[in-house]
Formats: sequence, C-alpha cells, structure tokens
Amino acid sequence: MKLLEVDGLITELAGGEGWLRAVDNVSFSVAPGETFCLVGESGSGKSVTSLSIMGLLPPGRFRHPGGAIRLYDGEQSVDLLKADSAALTALRGERMAMIFQEPMTSLNPVLTIGDQLDEVLRIHQPGMDINERAERVLMALHEVQIPRPTERVNDFPHRLSGGQRQRVMIAMALICEPALLIADEPTTALDVTVQAEILKLIRELQASRGMGVLFITHDFGVVAQIADRVGVMRRGELVEQGAASAVLRQPQHVYTRSLIAALPEHLERGGRSAAEPELAASEAEAVPLLSIRDLTVHFPIHRGVMRRVVDHVRAVDGVSLDVRPGEVVALVGESGCGKSTLGRALLRLQDVTAGTVTLEGRDITALSRRALQPLRRRMQVVFQDPGSSLNPRLPILGTLLEPMRVHGIGADDSERRQRAEQLLERVEMPADSLWRYPHEFSGGQRQRLAIARALVLEPRFILCDEITSALDVSVQAGILRLLRRLVDDDRLGMLFITHNMGVVEFLSDRMAVMRQGRIVEEGLTKQVLEAPAEEYTRTLLAAVPRMDGALLSS
Amino acid sequence: MSDAGSQRLSRSWSREVAAAVLRRSGARIGLVWVTLLVVVATFAPFIANTHPLYMVVEGRASSPALANLQALDWVWLAGFVLGVLALLLKGKVWLRLAGWLAGVGIAAAVAYSSVSPPLLTVYEQYREMERDGRIETIVRAPIPYSAKDYLRDYGDTGMEPPVAGNERHHWFGTEENGADVASRMIHAARIALGIGFIATGIALLIGTLIGGLMGYFSGVIDIIGMRLVEIFEAIPTLFLLLTFVAFFGRSIYMMMVIIGITSWSGYARYVRAEFLKLREQDFVQAAVACGLPLPSILFRHMLPNGMAPLLVAASFGVASAILAEATLSFLGLGLVDDPSWGQLLNQAVQSSSFNWWLAVFPGGAIFCTVFAYNLIGEALRDAVDPHTQRRMDS
Repeated sequence: MKLLEVDGLITELAGGEGWLRAVDNVSFSVAPGETFCLVGESGSGKSVTSLSIMGLLPPGRFRHPGGAIRLYDGEQSVDLLKADSAALTALRGERMAMIFQEPMTSLNPVLTIGDQLDEVLRIHQPGMDINERAERVLMALHEVQIPRPTERVNDFPHRLSGGQRQRVMIAMALICEPALLIADEPTTALDVTVQAEILKLIRELQASRGMGVLFITHDFGVVAQIADRVGVMRRGELVEQGAASAVLRQPQHVYTRSLIAALPEHLERGGRSAAEPELAASEAEAVPLLSIRDLTVHFPIHRGVMRRVVDHVRAVDGVSLDVRPGEVVALVGESGCGKSTLGRALLRLQDVTAGTVTLEGRDITALSRRALQPLRRRMQVVFQDPGSSLNPRLPILGTLLEPMRVHGIGADDSERRQRAEQLLERVEMPADSLWRYPHEFSGGQRQRLAIARALVLEPRFILCDEITSALDVSVQAGILRLLRRLVDDDRLGMLFITHNMGVVEFLSDRMAVMRQGRIVEEGLTKQVLEAPAEEYTRTLLAAVPRMDGALLSS
Repeated sequence: MSDAGSQRLSRSWSREVAAAVLRRSGARIGLVWVTLLVVVATFAPFIANTHPLYMVVEGRASSPALANLQALDWVWLAGFVLGVLALLLKGKVWLRLAGWLAGVGIAAAVAYSSVSPPLLTVYEQYREMERDGRIETIVRAPIPYSAKDYLRDYGDTGMEPPVAGNERHHWFGTEENGADVASRMIHAARIALGIGFIATGIALLIGTLIGGLMGYFSGVIDIIGMRLVEIFEAIPTLFLLLTFVAFFGRSIYMMMVIIGITSWSGYARYVRAEFLKLREQDFVQAAVACGLPLPSILFRHMLPNGMAPLLVAASFGVASAILAEATLSFLGLGLVDDPSWGQLLNQAVQSSSFNWWLAVFPGGAIFCTVFAYNLIGEALRDAVDPHTQRRMDS
C-alpha cells in the first residue's frame, strides 16, 4: 500500500538563459506510517522535490517535462502535477502538510498562535463551529506538548522560543490530520537538545496517527535516528535508495560512501593519537599562549526615560581558559550560552566587564586601541558566515594585502603579493583567486580565503567561530583537515567555537562546555566525550544524533 | 576559474550594477535625456546665440560667438571635455571623480582670471549689419537669439505664440520681454543641471559624514546626531530659501547651498542605518581584528558597501532640488535676469491671458528631467537590490 508515489519526476526551474534541471527523473514512494528521508548536500534538489510535491514552486518559473506525483487515498489516486490549483489547495493541509526550516519567520508575528491555528481549521473544516474549533486548537497544542496550552494559545509568536515555534508549526501542519507530512529540514536551525525533542515528537505523532513522513535533511545523524527508508540525492538525481540501516551501513553508491566518510567523526586523525602522550608530558612546562582569567562580559539593561541600568545580561560570567601552542581547544555550547561573546571579548572586539585576557604573557584587557594595534597580528579570527566574511567590494588581493601593508609585512607590494600567493597555495586555492571578487567563490572557498586572510599576519592564535556550520559535510571535511594541518605545522593555538560534536572529536585536543555564560566542564576531548562528569554535558552528548549509536540500538 | 593564471581583475560589483542599470530600458531613456541635457547645457552658446558663429564683414573673418564666450561657458566646456575623458579613462571611480573635480576647479580658476569678453553686448549690431548688406558670409547658430536678447529695438515685441508669422521665427514663441523661449530654455538647462548636482552633492557629503559617524560610533554620538537630523528635518527648505532671498538677494549659488544643507538629513539616516548593519558584518569585524586603521575601515570597507541606497536616494534628490528651484522661480523669487524654467512658467500665468507656450515647453522640460532622474533612481534601486536583480536575470 502506498501513500505517495513520485514517479520519474523531472522539475526544471527558469535559470539565467533557458531552463535548469533541478530534479532529474526521481522516483520513490512513501507508505503510510513510514518515514522516508531525502538526504543530500545543498543544491542537490531535495527541497525542490518537496516543493514540487506541495505545488509550492514559484508560479510561471518552473515546469515538469515528465513524471507524475500520485497521492493515494485508499485505492484512488490524484496526480498532483495535473491537479488544478483549487484541487491542490483543498489537498494541502487536509491530505498533506509541510513544515519548514526557519521557525523564526514561518509564523505571522502579528497574529496569536491560536488565531493562526484557527485559520487553518476555518479554511479546511468549514463545518466546525467556533467552540469546536477552539477545542481542536487546544488539543493540537496539547498534542505537540506545548506547556499550559490554555494560556499559550493567546500568545504572539515572539513570546515563544525557537523550539516552541517549531512545535506550533507542527501543530498547524497536523491540525487537519493530514495523511502525509513533508518536513523540510525542520530541526536544522535548532539546538541539539531541542532537535532531539522535536524529532521524538514527530516520531510519536507519526506512530499514533499512521502518517507518512517525507523528511528532508542533510544530517546523517538525523537520518539514522528517524528514517525507515532513505534516498540520497546528488545534483537532482536520486543516486541510491533503500532501507535506512542498509544504506547507512553498506552504502552501494560511491557518492553515498564519500558523504558518510566525510562526516567529521569518521575522518582519520593522522597520527594525532600517538602524539597525545607527548603533548601531555610537555603540558606542564608549556606556557599558555592565551590565558583567560575570570572573564566577565555583562550587557546592561536600560529601562525608563532616564535609561537607568536596572539589570545586566550576564553573557560571559567568570570564564577561565588556557590555550597552548599547537593545541585546538573546542568551546561547545548551545545558542545563547555566550560562546561567541567570549570569542569577541578575547579579541577585544567587545568590551570586557571584568577579568583578564593574557596573550603571550601580556595582559591585553586594558590596552588602548593604539597599544593593541601591533598585537592584533598575533591573534586572528575566522567567522561563521561565508556570505559576509569577505568584503564584497574588494578583490581578494586587496583583502589580503591591506593587513600586511598596515603591519609592515613585506618590503613592497610585489613581495606581499608573492606571500599572498603562497598563502593561497597553503589553503588550497588557485593563485588567480587574487584577482577575483568574493561573489565568484562558493561558501567553502570563501571560508578558505577568510582563513588565508587570518594567516596573512602570521598569528600565533586563531579564533574560529563556527566556521564550518554553514557548509556541506564534504566541504567541511576539507576545511577541518586544513585547519588541523595548519595547527600542527605552525604550532598555532586555536580556539574553535562550535556546536557540532563530530567536529570537536576530530579537531580538538581539549574541550570546554559552556552554559549560560559559565564553563561547566573542561578537559581532554577524549575524556569528556567518553566519560562526561557533568549532568549537562551528558544531556548534550545524548541529544547529538549519531549515526553509529542509533544504528547499533536499532 | 576558467582562465587560470590570468592576472586580469574580474568584473567588480560597481561594474555589475552599472551593467544591470543599463539593461533596463527605463534607465536608458532617463540617461539619454540627462545626457542630452548635459550636451545642450554645455553647448548652449553654440546652439542658441545672437552672436553669429562665423561671419565675414568687409573682408574680415571673425567669430563673435567665440569672442563673447563668458568664463562660465569655458568652465562648462572644460568640464564636458574632462568628463568625457574621465569616462573613457580606466581606473578607480572615486579617483576619476576627484580628478574631474580638480580639473574643473583649475579650469574655473584659469577661466575667471583670463577670459574677459566685451562687457557691453549689442545684439542689434548684427541685424543692422545684415540690413545694411555689409555681411558677406554668415553662419548663425540654429536658434539665432541669445537668452537675454530682448529684441528691444522692435516695436512689436512682447509675448508672442510660436511661429507667429512675422519675419522673426521663434519656434517656442517669446516671453514677456520679447526674448526667445527656446533659447532661454536651452540656457536654463545649466541651472537645472547645476542646482540638481551641486545641491545633492553638498547634501550627500554632509549626510554621509554625519550618518557614517553616527552609525559607526553609535552611543552618545548617535543620539546627538539624530537630534541634529530631527532639527534639520523640522526646517522647511522653501521658507528658509524665501527668508534668505528676502535678506540677501537672489543668487543661484546660495540656493544650491541652502537646498544642500537642508536636505542632508535623509542621506544621514540611510548611511547611519547601513553602517549600523555593516558594523556587525563579519568582514568589518575581521578588519578591526586585523588592526586596520579607522579611516580604512570606514571608507574602504564600510562606505562602498553602504553606498547603494544612498545613490538611489540621491537620484531622487536631484529631481527634488530641480523642483525646489522651479518652485522658487515660479513664485517670482528666482533669478532676476538669468533664464530658468520655473520663471518661464511663472510668466505663463502672469498676464491676463493664459500663454500656453510658456507653460507647455518649460513645464514639459521640468517634467521630463524629473521623470528621467526618477527612472534612473528606480533602475538603480532595482539593480542594487539582489531580489529584483535575480528576477531580471532570468
């Protein structure tokens, strides 16, 4: 028995000149009560597939030269590609529903969540009267485990956290009890602990209703947790599909194998484990490159006409941490725990309330802008968002040369250019990148260029703020290897801020877990990951969807 | 990445935007009109002039038009040539702009110190000479009347509809003093262009400076700056202009300055908003972390990225400055003797009858010019907005 059957689907989108084939001859089916995961890297066509099913592609900008999408209701079926818009509107919400990635923007901020749920019912169940609808809305909120639904129903979306908003989105999708739920990366924007709860909720709701779920993700850990069957997409084609355990354990296609091998927890740590005892021995005499003592950053909260300070947000609340040369320290925590503020504070991009930051034995917390200037080249930073990490108006040459000029590195511009070319080679970019503008590079390439910009000043310490979290796994793998090599070759010190445990495991020597502005646990990466001492660390680690763990238990 | 090893710089963002603007037909129409205005304004003495371009009188060849060129005419011509050069030359946009400004400045200094046309111009002499048959060869300008050639020696002068049928041909008719409307409109193009660009330039300069400081430093400077903006927004430009005209007399330069210093607040707001946003961008933070000096961060990393909305606002600003001048002239508070479009409009309704040619032609010129700038502004806005840009591409 089938619920959804996608048969040889081809979707073409209007591109620069002519049509771009975004989905090419994709066939799969979803049975009631089954979860089918579409997994692939960005641009693989997985989202376009889901939008084709829902009929939500931008009007007039797409076409389907072939294929069929059949939605079954018992023995009857409707071809969604041939259905007119009235029929589609009736089907959406009632027979199939969708939840999206970004919970922050998918709810209307000027309507209460109750109103928004009520509207769905008004459209799809015109027979219900107002009391029935109110009761149904409360039930829906109760189902998605929103605490105290009778009070929350009149709340506006801004009063809810990201996870709660995603729950409301799920309630909205499920309120008419659709037979098919399409979830397009519903947990990507959420913290791991919240993600674990949402995944659990989807599984429970699916089990109780016998829904079919088409789940779109890029995360193999999530696939291992939730999927019954899985399809791997690359450049619009479905390269492999089958039962989740089979595909993940014995991938048949080369691409699937390379994707799974690129997961950070599967990367080879070339010779690091052998070096570890030596590192531990030298630890005692090694002078910390960067040492943070009781660092505190408070943001005042102003109230009233006189803007009196009524309270402080304790973003960083007494943190102490050391980074030694040749060592990567991972700083792990969920969003809002203060890890990025800490990073900005130790680079003096953010004013420090109290505490000291010592770089190579010099206290830099109280230095003036001018006194700090020559020290800037000793510590550098690479940021998260590849879209904004490089000045879009300057060619790479300008971005790389200016810092050298300011710090007097190299005698003249031609020598500096040579140095820039050598650096590009080190970050594995072609030398002619110098003459190009940032928009001509992909996300991974831009992050490599941002690393080159940091290295240009020959720093001793580099701060990396979630630099791979916006990248695909295979690109991420390349950058992580590059970083590890740079640290080992130059004996740099690196503080790597991340929320990805796989990255921590591959890259870091030591790790610190941060929560609400404080460090709750710190130690050698291996020890912390294998035997976490603190309750919070345990919850965090348990929430991380891991491929191996989930498969072993199933 | 196709041509590895090539050392040529690929297309920069500003070039992409320029190309995207030119792809829009609205912008093309607007640019054609503005270019036409620039050409007409520059060559006004050769298009509409009572002084013949070339004549031979009793065996002696001369060019009265050239001999009577004012210093301002020479500055316009120099500016035009330098402008064409700056457009053709390669190099950084701001460098070329600075070079052009410097060139115009030098030209102005030279022209005002060395050019001395005859102080007294007798337009009638050429017509007399022609009547007496002393002229052997003559090449006239296409419109053989100067803007201030009031034809006083004729008894029948005054307002006259286009092509009225006497021996003198006035394509757009004459105004109340008997001067040719077409000629006055051509010479007035200079005022329209000048006031638009100079007033907007002043406003842009002040607005960028104050807005940039507010946005980058925020805090107290931002609070003080915003109050300053609010104060200036509360001053009605027109009333200030009227007051100044009443006290200090009429001067086109004063008008430019006043329009400029009362309209910067909008630009300051734009720049402030952009800078507040840009300050948090990773590449600006990285520039700070690299220890780059403040001027470099402000002008090399932030300003070029925040220019886009400013340019859009500026093209609308040019249009509104032109309108402000026309309004003043229409109210009869513009320039006394110098031609301007608004002043001609004023004359259309001054006498007992409605003189349609004085309303249609200058009014049409104002409309077309403001419309052209709005078209350009619209196209710029679409070009710098990535959302609409994508829609155009496909």
